[in-house]
Parts: sequence; C-alpha cells; structure tokens
Amino acid sequence: MSEKNRIGVFLCHCGGNISDNVDLDYIEERLSENDEICSIKHHENLCSLEGRNIIKDQILRQDLDRVVISACSKITHGATFQKYIKPLNPYLFEMPNVREQCSWVTENKQESTDKALSLINSAVESVKYNEPLKKIPTSVKNSVLVIGAGISGITTANSLAKQGMEVTLIEKRPAVGGAMVQVGKVFTPDKMSEDCAACLLNPVIDEMVHNDNITLLTNTVLEKSTRNSGNFDVILRKKPDYVNPDKCTSCGKCTESCPTFAPDEWNEGLNDRKAIYKPFPQAVPSTYTLDDESCVKCGACLNVCPTNAINLDAIDEIISLTVGSVVIASGHQRFDTSKRPEYGHPFYEDVLSQMQLARLMGVNGPTHGHLQVPSTGKVPRRVVMIQCVGSRDQMPEGHKYCSKVCCMVALKNANLIHSHYPDTEVIICYTDIRTLGVYEKYYKYVQNNGIKFVRGRPGEIAREDDHMVVRVEDTLNRDKIEIPTDLVVLSAALESSEGTIEAAKTLGVPLTEDKFVKEKHPKMQPVSTDIEGIFVCGTAQGPKDITDSIIQANTAATKISELVNGGLEVEPFIATINVKKCILCGNCIENCRYQALTMYHNSIRVGPIACTGCGDCIVTCPEEAISIQGQSDEKLRASIAGLLKDKKEDEQVIIAFLDDIGNVSANNMGINRVDCPSSIRIINVPFINRVKYSHIKYALTHGADGVFLGEYPDTPKHNEIRENVNIMKKHLEEDGINPERLLIHSVFIPYFRGLANQFKEFDEELQILSK
Amino acid sequence: MEEIKKFIPTENITLFRSCLVSAEYPGVEASTKYVFDKLGVEYVIDRNQSCCTGLGHYYDIFDELSTTALAARNFAYAIKNNHKQYVPTCATCYAILKTAAKTLNEKDEVREQINQAFRDNGLEELQYTKGDIDARDDITHVVDVLYYLKDKIPENKKRELSSLKIATHHGCHYCKVHFDDTLCGYRNPEIIDKICEVMEVPTVEWYDQKPRHCGGGFRQRYANRELSLDATEDKFLSLHKEKVDLLLVMCPNCQVQFDRYEQVLEERTGDRHYFAILNIAQLVALYMGADPYKVLGIQTHTVNVELILDKLGIEYDPKEDTLHVREE
Repeated sequence: MSEKNRIGVFLCHCGGNISDNVDLDYIEERLSENDEICSIKHHENLCSLEGRNIIKDQILRQDLDRVVISACSKITHGATFQKYIKPLNPYLFEMPNVREQCSWVTENKQESTDKALSLINSAVESVKYNEPLKKIPTSVKNSVLVIGAGISGITTANSLAKQGMEVTLIEKRPAVGGAMVQVGKVFTPDKMSEDCAACLLNPVIDEMVHNDNITLLTNTVLEKSTRNSGNFDVILRKKPDYVNPDKCTSCGKCTESCPTFAPDEWNEGLNDRKAIYKPFPQAVPSTYTLDDESCVKCGACLNVCPTNAINLDAIDEIISLTVGSVVIASGHQRFDTSKRPEYGHPFYEDVLSQMQLARLMGVNGPTHGHLQVPSTGKVPRRVVMIQCVGSRDQMPEGHKYCSKVCCMVALKNANLIHSHYPDTEVIICYTDIRTLGVYEKYYKYVQNNGIKFVRGRPGEIAREDDHMVVRVEDTLNRDKIEIPTDLVVLSAALESSEGTIEAAKTLGVPLTEDKFVKEKHPKMQPVSTDIEGIFVCGTAQGPKDITDSIIQANTAATKISELVNGGLEVEPFIATINVKKCILCGNCIENCRYQALTMYHNSIRVGPIACTGCGDCIVTCPEEAISIQGQSDEKLRASIAGLLKDKKEDEQVIIAFLDDIGNVSANNMGINRVDCPSSIRIINVPFINRVKYSHIKYALTHGADGVFLGEYPDTPKHNEIRENVNIMKKHLEEDGINPERLLIHSVFIPYFRGLANQFKEFDEELQILSK
Repeated sequence: MEEIKKFIPTENITLFRSCLVSAEYPGVEASTKYVFDKLGVEYVIDRNQSCCTGLGHYYDIFDELSTTALAARNFAYAIKNNHKQYVPTCATCYAILKTAAKTLNEKDEVREQINQAFRDNGLEELQYTKGDIDARDDITHVVDVLYYLKDKIPENKKRELSSLKIATHHGCHYCKVHFDDTLCGYRNPEIIDKICEVMEVPTVEWYDQKPRHCGGGFRQRYANRELSLDATEDKFLSLHKEKVDLLLVMCPNCQVQFDRYEQVLEERTGDRHYFAILNIAQLVALYMGADPYKVLGIQTHTVNVELILDKLGIEYDPKEDTLHVREE
C-alpha cells in the first residue's frame, strides 16, 4: 500500500440501536486522527434512501476509493450497501457489525464504545486490501450423463431430454429397465391391487427410445471421469457389439444353434439361457446379445445367421464425452443370502428370494407364471416368507438399516399367490410390519384375505423328508414353533450395487457408511452430492420404492435444469493460483472436497461454481501459491491488526474467528440480547482452516489475550481441523506462547447461548491466566 | 485363502494347555505337538501356566476379576519367556484369554486393581501394562495356525483318509464370542472343513443344526442335565440322519459332550448309529502317520475309534489300549 487510501467511514445510529450504547462522537474523534480517513459521517438510518445519498455524495465529493459502513450485520444489509456505494466497485467496502455483535450484547457503554472502535479500526485496516472484483458469470454445458437405465435413470433422462438437454444414458446390462422390468407386478398406493409392471414401464421406455435428445448405450460402463472447469470429461467403455444391431433381425436362429448354457440373470438363475441370447422377449434394445464370458467361440451361430450380423472378433468401444452434469442412477442389488446359511439358500433348491418368486409368478418367467416348487414341480401347499434377511441386522455383513420396500413386496407377492392359488397358505415371518401411509390399508386388505403373520425372525430352516421346516419363535406369545412348508421365500435386503459403488469411486463422490451415494444434505439437499454437478436418484441413494425413485429422478432433472438455465452468477471469492509460484504438485486438487480444482494443460484451474472460497487449499500448498480473491492473508492480518490498534492497557481482547455458522450464531446472540464479554472481537472467516498459524501467532504476539476458533463440526474436515489445532498448540508451545490461549469450540446456529457461555468461560480463564 | 486380518504366529508360541484336554483327551495335545513339529512351528509349553478358569468361570466360581487376574499372571509368564503368542487347544481358553486381554487393555480401573493386588502380595513382576498383549493378534487357536499352514500339511501325508464321511462341529467359543476374529465364517463355520479339504478328506457341506452348539454349556451339563442333553440331542440326531462316520471338533468340551455322552444320548433317543469323535489336530496327526495310541490317545475315548481305523485300513495293536475293559 504505497499510495495513501481515501477512506470514508459512515456511522449508522440505527435509530438508537447503536447510538444509545456506543458513543459515536468519541469514535468520530478517534477516527479523525487517522489521515487515511477522509470523511466521517453519521446518520440515523444509513440504509434509508437519504443514507444512500449521503454515501454517494461523499464518495463523489471526497473522491473516496474505499468505504467502511459501521452498522448492522452484513447478512442484513450487505447487499443494500453494495448498491449504495455505486459508483465504487461493489466489493470496495467493509461493514463492521457494531449492532448484533457489539451494542446489543454489551451492557456497559464505555466497553461497548471501545469495542465498536476496535471493530471499525479492523474494517478500516482490512478494507485497504479489498480489490475491485466482479461476480463471475458461469454457464453449464447443456449435456448430461445418466448412469443406469432403470426406472430412475430413464425418468431423469426423459425429463432432461424434454427440457432440451443432450442426454447420454448408459446401462451396464444388455437391456434397460432395471429391477422394475423383472418384478412382474407392482403394488400401487391407494388401489388395492397389483398392477402389471411392464405395462407401466413400457410407455416410459418408449418415450426414452423415441426421444432424439437421448443416446442410449447398453453394455456400457463409466470408466473414467475428470473434472474440467465445471464440466466433466468422461470416458465410457462399451462392450463389443458381437451382434450388429443394425443387421440383426431378431430371428433367433443363433440361439437355437448355440451349444453353451449359462444361468439366466433375467430369471434370477432359475433356468439357463444360451451364450448368445435375447435377455427377454420385450427387451430394449431388442437385438440379440452375446455373453463373452460363457461363449466358447465355436462359431455355430455364424453359420446360421441369415444377415451376417455376428462378429466374434468385435472389440470394445471407448467413447469420450464432455458433459455438464452427471446423474448416478445405478440402483441397488440384493443382499447375498448365502451369507445367512442358516436359511439354506445355497443348500436347498426350495428356498427362493422374493425376486425369484416374482420371476416364477411372471407370465414371461421360467414357468410361464405357474407357481411351482422347484424340487417337485407341484403347486406349494404352503409358502413361508422370511422378512429382514440382511436388513435391520446388527451382525457383521448385515445391514443395520431397514430396506423399506420388503414389507410391501412380501405383501404383494403373498396376495398374488393367494389370489391365484387360494389353497396355498402363505405365512409371513416378520420383525415389524412397516407399511407407512396408505400402504397400511393394503396390509389390512392382505391380512383380511387370509395371509397369516408370525412375529419373529426364524432361526433356521431345515429339510425334512419331502418338505422344509422353518424354526421360529413367535415373539408375541413366546412359543417356539416349527412350520412345515413346501417353499421358503427370503426378503433379502436392498444394498448398494457394485455399479453404484464403482460409479461413485470413479466420480469421487463420497459414500455413506452403508455404501450408498451420500447426498449433500440428507434432509435439505437429497439429490445433490458434495460435488456440484453430480446428482443422485433412486436406490443408488438408499432403499426406496418405485414412486419415491421417480420423484427423486424428476427432482434431479429439475436441479440440473436450474444449473443449465439459471444463468448463474457466482460470488468472486474463489481460489486463485499464482502460476509463477505453483509447482503443479496437485496437493490442492486432492484435498478439495468440492473437486473445484483440476489440472489442465500444465496449470491448475479453479471451477467457479464448485469453489466455495473456503480456503482449505491454501494450507495444503507448499509454495503458498493459492489465495482467495478478495480475501488475502494480508487482509486477514490487517483485520487482526485493526482490532488491536487502539487496545487499552487494562483491556482484554479475544479474537474470535467464526465460520459462517458461528457468525450467524453470534448474530443470534445479539438479536436475543444475550450478554457477551466485550473482549470478544469477531472475525468472520469462510472456513476455520483458512486461519493460518501465522495469523494466530501474530494476534497473540500483538496484544490479543486469546484466540477463539468457532467451527461448525458437521463437515468431513472436522477431524482434520481439530488435528490442525493440536499441531498449532504445539507450535505455540515451541514459540513460548501458552497454548491455553488458543481454544476451538463447536458452533451451531441455535446454540447461541452456549456460544455466549463459551466466550464467557474463555474470557474468565484468560483473566486468571494473565495473573 | 480368505484374507486374514489377524496375525497368525508360527513361532514364539506358548501352547496354552487346557485342563479338559489334559484330563480327558491328552492325545489332543500330543497330536497338536506332533503336527506342529512336522510343520516346523516353534512353540514351548510353560510349566508355570495356570488354568484359564473357563469351567469355574462359567460355574460362577471364579468371577470376572479373578479370571482376568489369572490371565494377567499367565500373560506375564509368556512375555517373560519371550513366547507371548498364546495358542490354546481349547476354544474356551481362547475366548476367555481374549476377553481378559481386552479388559486389561481397555479398563484402566480393573488393570490397576489387579496390579495393586500383585504389588500387595510381592508379585510386582506379574504386573500388566496396557497393550502387553493384543487381544486379536497375540491369542490364536490351534486351528488358526493349522489353517494358516494348511498348504504344508499335504507335504507330510502318510495315510489316505478320503473314504470317511465326516461332519464338522465348530466350537462356539471360537466362532461366536469374538466373531470379528473368526476365520472362515461363523454362521456357517468352515475352518475345519477347509483344513480337511487340503487332506482331500471330504466333509458334509451342510447338515441341519450345523451352527448349533454342542449343548455342553459347562455347568448346564451337570446342573441342568436335561436342558443340556435336549440341545445335544437335536444335533446328535441330525448327525445320525447324515450317517457320518466321524465328527470333527476343535474344543474338548464338545468332545466330552459327544464322546462321553454317546451312550446316554442313544438311550434317550433310542436311535443308534456309530460315529467316532476326533479333534481336528488328531485327524491331521493321523494323516501324517501318528500312532493311534501313543500320539492320538484314542484309548482315552469312550466311543471306540478303532472301527474308523479298520475302515481306513490302518494297522494297530489293540493291546496298546490298556484303558478299556474288554470282554474276552
């Protein structure tokens, strides 16, 4: 700062809110000693139009280049004053908060005045480092990658395509439709009926197939993804097209000639299919496909194909795309019931999963819809269903969560059996029946139809002569019973699919402890992820039924539409890299949890939408090449220096660095007039890691009695921050400074009283320490 | 081989003696030593070792504190001998020692109380320091070691055992108490089966009641005899149904329950079918050519094992059995 600044200071009375408890005349007198302050003006209400005229008038008359407005919190009137300082650049002002964080929380007028002066001094010092900035206009590419073509993925793709976006929909399997296409029947809320799943799904699939904005790629997985300033450069791998879809006429001769068998995934392994096959009659795409893991390449199919559509030497296709957003809709898989050997799934043919039962009951299934006991081919006399296999399970390999849909799935299949085979008895062994909302009516309906319920988790299943025995304790009357049955059906937990875990890993999106894709906020932002531009929907995010999946899928599409059509302008407080200093070590890229930084042609790029300006990258940089625009280290140091500038001999000063949550909490303290020690001087920082050791040391060696760090703990960086504070405490000790003078504490918006108490305790402790 | 998370020792081992093995089936210990020698496992037996208290503990004769104190004493000797890898032959010793090590490491008050007792009695050298013994890595069962070295077992093959129909019974104090440390599953425990696999001895993959306990239940066997035998009976009948020749166990408690009580169970159920009971270490020793009497100690078994030897064509001299009373 070689040239002198021309700073104007405006003191708002806030209709007495400030002036009643702060001696503004005294403050004016002290400020006028500063030769960089060229203008000091008072006003009753600076936020009024009259205030606006005063500010504008002074800027023009006095040729001010920077402005400090001593008033309320920036959250209340920051935007107002940003406009009022026109013709100055809107970022060339500071607003010391002398209302919420001073006059409202300090009883003694003298102390309040001293504190206000120090806050204003801090703003005066720090405003000198403000730079003229501009909001950053951004645009998001109008193209989307949707991973997974089940009901969720198809729904999102349709919605996006209808809004004019270019969608690439990829599916790992040879046909689309996911779990919904397999289940045969679906339960419908409100209606006491089971509806045909394919009849509901087919129109949605048709819509997808016929929409020119959607490119469907089956047998395709996401192989790589790199962030490239706001966009994603993705690489897809498509399995070889052994059967040319343009030539194949679906005549089926290849399948007839094929000598090799493999378990039929579509029918859950209940029967075999050939190595060259069509997954199921209504499959989309409708071409034949070849399973290269079981194919022995004998060439029999080549000889019979009338259109020469088959090429056994076909190779993988690598596809590279740049998209603006990604939707993870890669769904779930079902718990491997062989992990519960006591239920005999791997040993006994007549123990099925609910999905296998659905296939058995499906008209396009292995028995054309006839319910048969696999070992005998007869209609079962009794079917026992076991709920919560792998769900609500505290033991290793089990899932602690409830899979949400299994109660309804069991009721649906039980009722289907009942309506087609009234002589077959169905018993459901349950933990609790969870049929929320209107589903409860369906539960009662099924119960009235004669389905029996036993409350208890069976211990084991055994084979006895020509039938099975389910051993269970009926926990309602504490009877240990053995239920003989022909068929046992296990309601296996829904778990995150391999594809979901793989996609999350490739995209760098965090998973929950249950391995589902973690949303940005489970309550408030249920389809966003930590990475701006990546969204999740359907069972990839957690167990849910078809209706919920569709709702979430449409929400994801809406969120993407907001990004693409919203004409975003983002605040300019983002990281900038000094290319002269940067050695391209990549530490910052790895550390950034928002994936805001990317390597691009030997330089590091910052994505303005993704970057939150938290400044966490600053500490990871060995060359100190990173800074946040408009929030330099020097500016932060100047804020500290200003706070300590006019410190009196007997005055105690605690510098409290609060993150945004802490700052709001401190404002709440003021709004509720909770008393706070006048020693507390708050500096709002975007993220606690932004405060370097050098800042803390500077504060503690230039007059501050203590430094308080207020951190919102519910972030992935929490442990790292705490660890960092421990390290800083060690450094303090090495530098001969009592580490007790540094304190970190958690902050929450509603716990402002707790924060006030914490301030008070720290204030008292420091008083003792100083004696 | 599944990924093994715990450390499995092949040296610095103290073979932890079991009172039930020593009193009932000493051939289990002899077989373990025989097999360890063949596999090159380095171990010692500590004459100063005391009982783990298992039987007394489950009778409520020894409380948790005394049990833990005794374990601390045993750990101190093992560490002093530079053989701190405890390898018990009995599943109960295994579980009790692990629990004691966890308590000593995690509960400062208990550790201090025990150390104080040592100091008060002039036994300072027995004091336990937090972390002396790692509950997961320093206490392993014999089957863990056999499983770990299983690929070396066939190198010592002397006898062909593949003609037997074998079922396995895994000790619940191995499988269920510290299930995070259990190898090869605990819902369908398979560690003995996997050891049999390398000897090319097929085992019954699954049978009704397989994961059930033996019914022994320590005091239950004597105080609640009917309850105990009710539980044994279910498994006993299931084994009859499978028509097995041999039941393999890994814990002397289970061995007592099926071997000593065979006749009682037959009378209770009226169901008869011969099957012998061996510890897995005995079977491995037999496979490696050990003498049925001098090493396996089959003369101490109630159910004759000789019929199995006949079936396998293994020669033996019945006169070496000086324990059973034979009708002339």
